[in-house]
Amino acid sequence: MIISMYLNEWKSFLRNRLLRTLAILFGVTLFATTYFGLIQSSNQMDAQQKAHEHIRAQWDEMEPSNPHSAAHFGSYVFKPSTILSSLDEGINATTGTVLRLEGHTQNEMMFSETSQSLILSKFGKLKASLLFQYLIPLFLIFLSFDAYPREKRMGRLKLLVNQGVDIFSLVSAKVLCVWSIGIVLLGMTLCTQLFMSPGDMSMDHVLRLCLLMSGYAMYYFVLANITVLVSVWLQNATASMSFVMLLWIFWTVFLPKITGNLAEQMVPLPSRMEFQDAMSKDRSDGIDGHNPSDERRNKLEEATLKQYNVSTLEELPINFAGIVMQADEEYGNQVWDKHFGALYVHLQSQKEIVQYSGVLNPFGSIQSISMGAAGTDMFHHLDFLQQAEKYRRMFIKTLNDEYAFGGAKTGERGWKADTAFFQSVKDFVYQQPTMRSVLSKYYIDLIILLAWCFLSFFLLNVTAKRASVL
Amino acid sequence: MRFLYLFLFERKHFVRNRAKVVSYLLFVCTCVYALQNGLDLYHKQSETISEIQQSQVEDIQKVNAWFEEGKNGPEDRSWVDIHEPYWALRYTPTYVIKSPSSLLPLGLGQSEQFGYYKEITFWSSTYDNDMVEEIANPERLGNGTLDFAFLILYLFPLLLIVLTYDIGGVEKDEQFDSLIRIQYGSWTRWIAVRMSFYVSLLLITVLLLMSGVVFSNTIGIFFPDFIGLLYLVSGYVLAFALLYFVILRLGNGSNLNAFNLIGTWIVLCILIPGAVHQYISLKIPSGYMTEFLDANRKEAYAVYSLPSEIVSEKLVSLYPSLESKIISEEEQNGQHLRKSLSALTNELNKSAVEQIELRNAKKNELLHGTYWFNPVMFAQNKWNSYTSSDYDAYLRYRLNVQQKIDQKLDFLVLDTWNERTTEQSEFQVYIQALQ
Repeated sequence: MIISMYLNEWKSFLRNRLLRTLAILFGVTLFATTYFGLIQSSNQMDAQQKAHEHIRAQWDEMEPSNPHSAAHFGSYVFKPSTILSSLDEGINATTGTVLRLEGHTQNEMMFSETSQSLILSKFGKLKASLLFQYLIPLFLIFLSFDAYPREKRMGRLKLLVNQGVDIFSLVSAKVLCVWSIGIVLLGMTLCTQLFMSPGDMSMDHVLRLCLLMSGYAMYYFVLANITVLVSVWLQNATASMSFVMLLWIFWTVFLPKITGNLAEQMVPLPSRMEFQDAMSKDRSDGIDGHNPSDERRNKLEEATLKQYNVSTLEELPINFAGIVMQADEEYGNQVWDKHFGALYVHLQSQKEIVQYSGVLNPFGSIQSISMGAAGTDMFHHLDFLQQAEKYRRMFIKTLNDEYAFGGAKTGERGWKADTAFFQSVKDFVYQQPTMRSVLSKYYIDLIILLAWCFLSFFLLNVTAKRASVL
Repeated sequence: MRFLYLFLFERKHFVRNRAKVVSYLLFVCTCVYALQNGLDLYHKQSETISEIQQSQVEDIQKVNAWFEEGKNGPEDRSWVDIHEPYWALRYTPTYVIKSPSSLLPLGLGQSEQFGYYKEITFWSSTYDNDMVEEIANPERLGNGTLDFAFLILYLFPLLLIVLTYDIGGVEKDEQFDSLIRIQYGSWTRWIAVRMSFYVSLLLITVLLLMSGVVFSNTIGIFFPDFIGLLYLVSGYVLAFALLYFVILRLGNGSNLNAFNLIGTWIVLCILIPGAVHQYISLKIPSGYMTEFLDANRKEAYAVYSLPSEIVSEKLVSLYPSLESKIISEEEQNGQHLRKSLSALTNELNKSAVEQIELRNAKKNELLHGTYWFNPVMFAQNKWNSYTSSDYDAYLRYRLNVQQKIDQKLDFLVLDTWNERTTEQSEFQVYIQALQ
């Protein structure tokens, strides 16, 4: 019974010229936005690759230099853009793209896209996610707000009920039809993405795409359920339209900003100045506040002399300056870990608050899943920063070790490592987190969306059973 | 008289419609919340600036005390001699600050994407790591803050839809529009009068809120900008009202009206800006600023290893007045040359930054060219310019930063080569010039 009603809904959808035109328009727009999104992502990836090679070439071509000078010369890493960012750009435009890696300090990202011009848009670029999150839901609402009142107005409802059709089956068929239209639009985007990507879609990317599409499919199911439910409940097209519109505005425009602001008020972050001052203080005073740096240096000197069984630094077979620098670096790392660690914990707490707000606003959940699956969310951003920091530590240690044990003796400030050594320092390669780790971060949003699906369907069932036919 | 009666009747209609009243009150509460957000940011920035200024005063007092006590510098740094221009300048606290505009509570604009204070050293540039935004959650930054400007530019048109979408539509649904034509003579005027009630209500509310926050605060305002902002808000509200009026006038029922109104909002607020954004990103992709990275690193390091005669030549071209000193005394002034190197790297940075600013200017020009069909972004950026929170305001701030860097380096090079001895009076000159 449901199947025949479902097919009938599809037929009436296809017979309606306005709806048909709108659906085609959406299809074409989705194709175009995905295609241009792919071009943009591809250009961005090329630019990133070129910048990376450019900086690495400078490192490889370095003439014999003092390793400590090389640590100050440092390196740059560039936040990579992934092919899935063509669908959802997430926070990529607001975070910087370049990170300087150097001795003595852990830097922050620079050169965000949003700081390179006036405001270009408030809701982001015209990418598939913009259509998925704002336009298609509206189209689905438009398709379903009059679902029940129309049947009543036209007198078909009485006829169907007389024929033995129960209202729940009728409205379920309507929900499924509206939902499947959303699925067709999602499927078109998926195909465009799969077939037009420039050949670098890994299995992980495909799985991420599946997660992204499943998230949107669940969200559209919730929307279709709620819109039809409201139409059954209010039994009036105008009232139902107003109600769902208000809900849409509340969910998509209003709540996302409110929750973000509230999360920041509930878990406040330090200002840059407070953050820097606290790190500088720990750096000079010692983490526990009673371990000034000179005292640490003296202890290290004593221990090194003892280890090499000599009485003066000049007698050491190695360069003590390199050891001091690495010790200082390791001490600094503890300071960075303490402060950046606390900062990242705060950021994650804020994210959790936003994730739990999905209980009130499923749009928040789909926004999170969409960014997470595309690899353009805060978790991926922090992961990049952490991998880059890990590399920086290895990078600086390699240079300090060379300075200490590469042949120089204490006091030989002019000592230089050769080009071959610099070329032997490993390059930074960013490993994107796997799908499994993404899932572990987003299971809250998935569960919340799933709960919304069941709850909305259950409420539709209850409302349909109580609906009046007359 | 009939239309005045209609206007007043619309007030009754509004008051009796719970959904409309709740939407309106919700909007007003959100406006108050957004204004509070703006004020919080304003006070936070002001507090940070006060702290910086306080620490500057303390630093200056410390150096003055050294001069007065005849000391050369801090006791644990024997190599420091504040009577040399190099050290005196190093100990001259130099901050460039972008004070928040008194209108900032009305629109945060891009203020959360840029830094607003910068310490100037000999090696500073306008794209240093400390010129980036304050620490913030990137996802919140991506979603944007709920500021007053957002409410007026994006939520206000939505509220207007909620309040007006049924004007004329319900009458057409119920098919008594002909009756209204007969009673009032003009369908167009009938819709216009009904709409004018809501437009007046909202406009008065918004203008009162804006005036309230500005005048009830201890913040002094820059009046021309405030008046400009009032004009902008009024124009924006009326333009949307006019557009909605046309849609309602031509509409064929409340549902279709609602869909057309929402569709118009989406096209103007989301689709056109989104498409323009995407187009500009394709046309001028956001760069990784390798030109600046090269200047800041590779080229700067190359300067350090240049032979002294080339460094001298470069310095002479920068400071022709020092030609005789630099050329004749270069042999015995290796230290002077080393101290002057930052002036050369500053020039490298400046030329790299020029390219970046040119590319950014091109992006902005492209955006300006779209304003005729992208009115919401025009209004958004115009609003931000009034609240000094747009790209151009921060560009001016960067220019100030560069000016201070140049000034500090001019002092360094000229006073070092002229072998001036810095006394307290010279130190005061540095402070006056660099503060």
